[in-house]
Amino acid sequence: MKFIKKIIERFLPPKKWKVPVIILLGTFTGVALYNFYVSRAWSYLSDDPATCINCHVMTTEYATWSHSSHRERATCNDCHVPHDNIFRHYYFKASDGLRHSAIFTARTYDQSIRMLAPGNTVVQENCIRCHGELTEMVKANVSYKETLEGNGKRCWDCHREVPHGRVKSLTSTPWVEVPAPKSPVPDWLR
Amino acid sequence: MKFSLRNLIEKKPWTGWLLFLGTTVIVFVLGILAASIIQRRAEATLINIPLYELDEFEPRNEVWGQAYPREYEGYKRMADTSFSSKYNGSAMRDALEEDPRLVILFGGYAFARDYNQPRGHIYAITDIHNTLRTGSPDENTADMQMSSCWTCKGPDVPRMINEIGAEKFYSSPWSEMLSEVINPIGCANCHNPENMTLKVKQTPLMEAFQRQGLDVNATSVNERRSLVCAQCHVEYYFKPQGSYVTFPWDIGFSVEDMEEYYDKIEFSDWTHALSKTPMIKAQHPDYEIYKTGIHYARGVSCADCHMPYTREGATKVTDHKIQSPLNNIENSCMLCHRESKEELIANVYSNQDKVYQQKIILEDLLVKAHIETAYAIELGANEDQLKPIQKNIRSAQWRWDFTAASHGGSFHSPVESLRIISDGIQKASQARLDIARLLADLGYNKAVEMPDLSTKAKAQEYLGLDMDKLNQDKQNWLEKVLPIHLKKGEERQNKLPEPKRIR
Repeated sequence: MKFIKKIIERFLPPKKWKVPVIILLGTFTGVALYNFYVSRAWSYLSDDPATCINCHVMTTEYATWSHSSHRERATCNDCHVPHDNIFRHYYFKASDGLRHSAIFTARTYDQSIRMLAPGNTVVQENCIRCHGELTEMVKANVSYKETLEGNGKRCWDCHREVPHGRVKSLTSTPWVEVPAPKSPVPDWLR
Repeated sequence: MKFSLRNLIEKKPWTGWLLFLGTTVIVFVLGILAASIIQRRAEATLINIPLYELDEFEPRNEVWGQAYPREYEGYKRMADTSFSSKYNGSAMRDALEEDPRLVILFGGYAFARDYNQPRGHIYAITDIHNTLRTGSPDENTADMQMSSCWTCKGPDVPRMINEIGAEKFYSSPWSEMLSEVINPIGCANCHNPENMTLKVKQTPLMEAFQRQGLDVNATSVNERRSLVCAQCHVEYYFKPQGSYVTFPWDIGFSVEDMEEYYDKIEFSDWTHALSKTPMIKAQHPDYEIYKTGIHYARGVSCADCHMPYTREGATKVTDHKIQSPLNNIENSCMLCHRESKEELIANVYSNQDKVYQQKIILEDLLVKAHIETAYAIELGANEDQLKPIQKNIRSAQWRWDFTAASHGGSFHSPVESLRIISDGIQKASQARLDIARLLADLGYNKAVEMPDLSTKAKAQEYLGLDMDKLNQDKQNWLEKVLPIHLKKGEERQNKLPEPKRIR
């Protein structure tokens, strides 16, 4: 404890600066909290598919899913996040989420969004997680890595319409009715 | 002396300034990030802004089509009447010709004159003009119907109700609205003009929800993908005073609940010409029957099968050619079911065949019951003797009609349909048992002779309907009277402003 106290003391500002520093730190925390609020950061802990369209670039994915049979059984996270253990689950969610938010902020995504290798791996796992009994008899539940080695196929190499359909681009689902995030402005201020 | 920030700044004041500036930069960048997040959130609402500004009650479907061309293209394809399934479809089919028993069942009611299977929404106005059920009202001939009859015929209805109020609209004679309701069921009946989200616009459904203390537009998207259909595809009745269109849902949705509702207020649509029974005409309780079926239980909405998502070039569009999924198995059933098209159709027909078979048994019983009761009346049966018989006939035919008029009910919920029909068979049989006893009491102990009902024409003749005159009157009306109304309507509508381009 003493050690930590010492480190903190090192960074304490001169006494006469105390008040401005407190105000500055308050500003800093306030803006950070505001960012947390306006980006709906807490919603990313949930499994609600509406979270995934906090960023509107995923609207097509949401719309096609909500018109598919998977909407009754599987949320986005059921397929796109690993479920074998809790550490991998949250690690994947965090790293994927961070990457997505960076790409979205910098606008470096493509018109047609595609999964990368980690996403492919996880979705293949999750197809098998639910449909394992069915896929067992096709070929001993091949992993994404094995498909890259020419050993078997990804599920959606054949089931190409499941569940998002073959048409996927930012503009492919005009006028779709999806749950838009509520306005960040509180009711009493409108 | 050991290092401390305090000492450092005291020694070199510029490091203090550096710290201050550094923090400022971080807060500044955080502010920019916040601005970016807000901007990106605003983008989401900007995507769905149409090219044209439309009025909430814009009745012209082609004007909506300017703003939403893809959907409108699909809508127009509803003009295709080439598809006929085993029992329904979108073709013009004469229900009375296909099953002349119906003429007797509707004896004394306009449905005995003319009863066709429904075509697509786009024909709603044409078909209500053409049907003999609306008669030929002009200066010399009184209206057969009130404007309640228009309620489900098009987007002009919410517009008129907004203008003159529901009470006044419903209680106007039918012919008064001939020049007002001229656009067939379309865009404005289900959609919000600003962004094409689904919105219930029809007064009766809104009121039915209000009476339960609910707001029909505060439902989920998926619920509304059925509720917009439930604006019309439901059981309803016209209140005797003022012909106010009302859904009889206050007790419940089942056939028994609604019957209880009607019995309580002693409602009847008409008195049967033969059996003098106070009858209830079931409209088309599609939504109510659908609610009892397996697809509803699994969360499937009406639009999922009747308006599936289809691919059009590089986009996905909800198919606005609203039609039987049997004509579009690949995009509807096969999204969930992996069987072949042929097998799926066979499955549907197998259910429908079974329901149909029982429905015909009930129909036969009802036809006989009406004719036998008429004979008992002829032999001098009194009101007290007839009452229990008529109660069973009313009840049995209500059950028959509830399933017969529910489009696709035999598929939507075959078990519920069969339950209702078998209940009806029991009640109709009871009625006939009582009639036989009554006839014996009246000194007649043989089977009542049945007329030849093999064709629509013969059945109508038996009821004493002068079809030639009715048809001739209608033809004259269509040629001479209707065009005047339509011209008036067209002139009125042409004065409406063109939609404003906003983007």
